[in-house]
Amino acid sequence: MAGPGSERLVQAALRCYPERWRSRHGEEAAELARLLMRDGTAAHSIAWSYVKGAASTRLALRSRRRLRAVVGGLVAAACSVGLSLALLSSSAPASAVTGPCSGGARGAGMGARGHVPYGHHYLTGGAGRSSASVRVTTKKPANSDALSGHDQHC
Amino acid sequence: MASREAERGGAGGQDVLRRAGDASVLILTSLAGGAKHGYALIKDVKSFSGVELGPGTLYGALDRLEQLGLVEALPAEDRRHPYRITPAGVTALRVHLDAIERVRVAGRLRLGLEGI
Repeated sequence: MAGPGSERLVQAALRCYPERWRSRHGEEAAELARLLMRDGTAAHSIAWSYVKGAASTRLALRSRRRLRAVVGGLVAAACSVGLSLALLSSSAPASAVTGPCSGGARGAGMGARGHVPYGHHYLTGGAGRSSASVRVTTKKPANSDALSGHDQHC
Repeated sequence: MASREAERGGAGGQDVLRRAGDASVLILTSLAGGAKHGYALIKDVKSFSGVELGPGTLYGALDRLEQLGLVEALPAEDRRHPYRITPAGVTALRVHLDAIERVRVAGRLRLGLEGI
């Protein structure tokens, strides 16, 4: 019943599966096909079942890989944002980044509350990332005590 | 009401087989009677359900069930791996059969086939 043509057809269908699947199930699947053909199942029917199974396996594998890539990208983006924020908070004084009224940067290693130095550059993207530099051009007030007075009102 | 309960999986836990496909349920039912390899599975499923599983469908369902931890492959005997249902598989099959039973009872009642 199972001629060499039938065996070749089934073998061709089994080659549609991913290599990993074939190394695990290949021999067993070929043996199962032989037994089914011996019982009278048509070779093309067995081959078609394997082709459908191979397509389904490959699709599942691809969607799993895509999911892994998306999750990896999200984790990398989150890490990048977190690193940027960490560098930002560690490289700039709290008052220059968050403003004197905000308490956002307090408690992040910036316990000291100093005045903004006049005419300084601050890197908002961390060291070596000068594209996001901010130039603080506060003018020295006539009465410099007024600034600290304002700070206290916040 | 019964079908809504069936969707939730009932009190016995979540029905993980609800979306696994008919082949998975048939395979688990067959393996509940003892470990079998592929050829014996196909023959057994045909004998109790009349469904002739294709070999591609069989291996796809076995892979899915193995990933879910519901079956496990035993060491190969003569190029054939027997598969065995796991304790988690027994629980999943029981929960699924309970859900089907509730739907069956509700359906027969509404068709006027029971309870009259």
